[in-house]
Amino acid sequence: MSVLVPRSDVAEFRKRYKWMSLFVLALFSAVAVRLFQLQILGGDDYAAMAHENIVRRVTIQTARGILRDSQGKILASSRTSYDVYIAPMKVLPSALPQRNHRGNRIADAPDSLPKVAEVLRMTPDERERLSIRIREACASYDGRDKGSPCGRQILIREDVSRDIISELEQHRNELAGVEVVPTPIRFYPYKHLASHLLGYISELDVDALAKYRPDGYESLPTDEKERVNPLGYDRRDRWGAGGVERAWESHLRGKRGWEKRVVDAWGKYRTGPAAERLLDAPQKQEPLPGRNLRLSVDVELTQTIEKSMIPYRSGAVVVTETRTGRLLALYSKPNFDPNDLSGGGGRAKAREAFTRLYADPYRPMLDKTMSGAYPPGSTFKPFSALAALDSHSLNPDATQRCDGFIRYGSKTKPLRCTHVHGSVNMHAAISQSCNIFFFKLAEATTLDPIAKVASAFGLGQRSGLSLNPEASGRIPSRAWYTLRHSANYFHKGFTLNAAIGQGDVTVTPLQLAMAYAAIANGGTLYEPQAVVAIETADGVPMQEFESRLKNKIAIQPDHLQRLHNALRDVINSDEGTANAIHDRTLDVAGKTGTAQPGFHPNPNEDAKIQWFRSRNHAWFAAFYPSHAPEISIVVLVEHGESGPQHAAPVAMQVIREYQRLKATRASKPKP
Amino acid sequence: MSARDTLLSRFRDNFDWVLFVTASALAMIGVINLYSATSVARAPLNEVYLQQIYWLVGGGLFSAFVASVDYRHYERYGYFLYGFGIVTLVLVFILGREVNGSSRWIYLGPIGFQPSEFVKIFLVLALAKYVNTDARAEGRTLKDLIAPTLIAALPAALIALQPDLGTALILGLIFLSILSMLRIQRRTVGQLGFLAAIAIPTFMSFGMLGFQQKRIEAWLDPDKDIAGINWDPHHSRIAIGAGKTWGAGFMQGTQNQFRFLHEQHSDFPFPVFAEDWGFAGALLLLAIYLLLVLWSIHIASSAKDRFGAALAIGSGSLIFWHAIFNLGMVTGLLPIVGVTLPLFSYGGSSGLTVMIAIALLMNVSMRRSSLSTITFAR
Repeated sequence: MSVLVPRSDVAEFRKRYKWMSLFVLALFSAVAVRLFQLQILGGDDYAAMAHENIVRRVTIQTARGILRDSQGKILASSRTSYDVYIAPMKVLPSALPQRNHRGNRIADAPDSLPKVAEVLRMTPDERERLSIRIREACASYDGRDKGSPCGRQILIREDVSRDIISELEQHRNELAGVEVVPTPIRFYPYKHLASHLLGYISELDVDALAKYRPDGYESLPTDEKERVNPLGYDRRDRWGAGGVERAWESHLRGKRGWEKRVVDAWGKYRTGPAAERLLDAPQKQEPLPGRNLRLSVDVELTQTIEKSMIPYRSGAVVVTETRTGRLLALYSKPNFDPNDLSGGGGRAKAREAFTRLYADPYRPMLDKTMSGAYPPGSTFKPFSALAALDSHSLNPDATQRCDGFIRYGSKTKPLRCTHVHGSVNMHAAISQSCNIFFFKLAEATTLDPIAKVASAFGLGQRSGLSLNPEASGRIPSRAWYTLRHSANYFHKGFTLNAAIGQGDVTVTPLQLAMAYAAIANGGTLYEPQAVVAIETADGVPMQEFESRLKNKIAIQPDHLQRLHNALRDVINSDEGTANAIHDRTLDVAGKTGTAQPGFHPNPNEDAKIQWFRSRNHAWFAAFYPSHAPEISIVVLVEHGESGPQHAAPVAMQVIREYQRLKATRASKPKP
Repeated sequence: MSARDTLLSRFRDNFDWVLFVTASALAMIGVINLYSATSVARAPLNEVYLQQIYWLVGGGLFSAFVASVDYRHYERYGYFLYGFGIVTLVLVFILGREVNGSSRWIYLGPIGFQPSEFVKIFLVLALAKYVNTDARAEGRTLKDLIAPTLIAALPAALIALQPDLGTALILGLIFLSILSMLRIQRRTVGQLGFLAAIAIPTFMSFGMLGFQQKRIEAWLDPDKDIAGINWDPHHSRIAIGAGKTWGAGFMQGTQNQFRFLHEQHSDFPFPVFAEDWGFAGALLLLAIYLLLVLWSIHIASSAKDRFGAALAIGSGSLIFWHAIFNLGMVTGLLPIVGVTLPLFSYGGSSGLTVMIAIALLMNVSMRRSSLSTITFAR
């Protein structure tokens, strides 16, 4: 032990120990104070944050309401779309860096991507792009970054077929990282049929999201969220984007529920009593399912309309009940398949469908029954006639001479009639559609009384249905010309044109159908109605909607009688313009119309389309049975050239089908 | 008198029970806490508490050996061990395996160890040896401090280059702690302060690597990027705070049980403990650490020679700075600097290092009394 050095002097250190001890005490006290701050002062706040970390509100989806037709046939419901997602790190582990941040090897599993590609029948190109995308996402993954794109699922296929689903199921063991997620997709079993009436659903656009989820939405208190966004729209949600789907969105949508679940930092749910003890009340809010709606339209009738319209490119048909204003059919051509737009088959398919539909010159996305306003032509004449009768401006029984043309002043071109009618009174002028008589009628009656009657019948005003954007149409008056142009602008020619439904007069087929229903029922103008009841899931009505009166027009009975007789003779008289469609078994009254469309050549347009657009509109407006009217019908064959030849036969087929359906349904008990 | 008698009697009469009981209490609470901390982890992490027991038993045996050899033997080999430590640090650059962007580990077959951990002990020995021979009546000037500074700066620089700023910082603080025992001229203290005032900001602007700067920024703005760089400090604070006064109970702390705490066995065992046992438990634990550190100062004060005193201060400061930095970082008082909590964190090399430090304290403590005359009498 002698190797050890002698003891050294420790006196130098003596004074320091006290200060060291104080220093140590001070730093430990600082930690203690901090713990006091965190645990005692902030304890409740941190406990709340801890609770928030582990308790998550999980959304419970709701089901959108079902649309049914008047006979209970399903027009729109939901089906399940199977979407395939992949987790990049599990599908292609070889894309990961070899070691995580602690230097441990990241699980070294085989790639399942080749099998995924095989089952989903990816093209080599598609597969290559996907694997590049995964490699990019995973290049910098270090095994712990939860926000890494490497851990985020990628949607690779939407709405895959059942065959592929069963194949995926069969090879599940070889398909690590593949997840098939069922999502509800709106389904329209009748495809194109009544697509404008039904509408479609689509993802909320940026503006709508900004409205329902303004900046800072997530941090708002619950009741404030409820106020801003009562229907609980979320990103990527779909909502009604037209027709009944949009107009009745708040009823159809339903409301999501939620359930509190205990979840760990990796997003895994924990169950069992230990986990459930951590949940605070209320633990669950049941979802409210969307309301089912019963529509007034009749699928079978609409199918007949579709068949009858096959020869024509473009047009609209409206069938309404004259005693209620309920719409039995609302048909616009060309139409679209709402399934393509509502997400069935995937987003790419919807995008492609929109592009195609908006590029179509025949405008399939336009609801021609209410969004398009057209000159009504001769179908307007009954309103001019009523105005003349009301104002006693013209003796209806006195005859006027029609030479096939009439000249007003020597400088202007003569106005033409369809042919030489000879001597015609009002009855003949309506049934044979003589323009010359109506020019004389217009001269005697003047513009404003005609406009007043037409407006009373709802023409030139929005009907109030507002399933789709409604065009108001136009019934010009002297005041309108003064406002639009100047006080001196007006001349008689405008009145003459208006009396025969030309010039500045435009109406929508829906307006015309409602107006003819009012003529049929003796002057009661209804608001058109498409939804008749809200129903429970079992089809029991919860709330039924009464028909809504829009206007009660005072028509003298003998005037009405005169008009009905004349309209009957349009079909039944040998000289009537629509005599060709006469059917002894069907008691139809109506009026043909062939309207000049006010065509302006557009040199940029295809010559064929230009030719098409230069043709006259073919109209037929009718009611049936003429002695006890039940329905009114308006057919517009856009640029169909001739009302009697093209529009009237369509109407006749629809009326025939209506009668047939009525008879068959009467013999069977109602479902 | 036989060596055996001396050993036994020395054990009987001079065994430092305070030191032993505090250290054992910490180790036991640590194992229990590791059990809670890793109960939800997947294998092999969920058996870390068992490994910790093996390390404690193995390390305890080794520590008993370290404690039983008179510390003045260590003084003799002080510089040699220090040199050995420097060589291993250099070897890290050659043989080291990169983990999380820095090379800290050397693998001998399946067993990996971190030379930087053991270098802390070697530095304490070397500095204690230097202090032992450098007794002065007058206060030291700047010139006198060059030699010990170089002794500390060499390993600190090598470790900082790994890069492992946390360990380098601990080395620096151990050095300052031993330095604080010495008599230094007041003017020199001022000069040192001035140098530090220039050196520290300069280093922070130019010497730190990207991720180190990010940690500082994250610490200054603790609510930013909670999903990323601030995940650990944020959830650590939540866990501690959620423990409130009495805690959730053993294995009941939700933030750990639901896997919001990461590194809960290495750098973040304290939040697990604080959430399970609340402020009461945390304060008790803090008191034990305080007692251990104050006791080591007491051991230093009763040491018979300069080497023993410096050894005790060095070992005590090692434990102290580890504890303060770990507790500071988990409570958000300090930025994240990967420093373990002595006897509480799982870790072979760091655990063994702390046990050796305690063994050295025990060594000094057992040889402070009059027994020394017996021991060295011939």
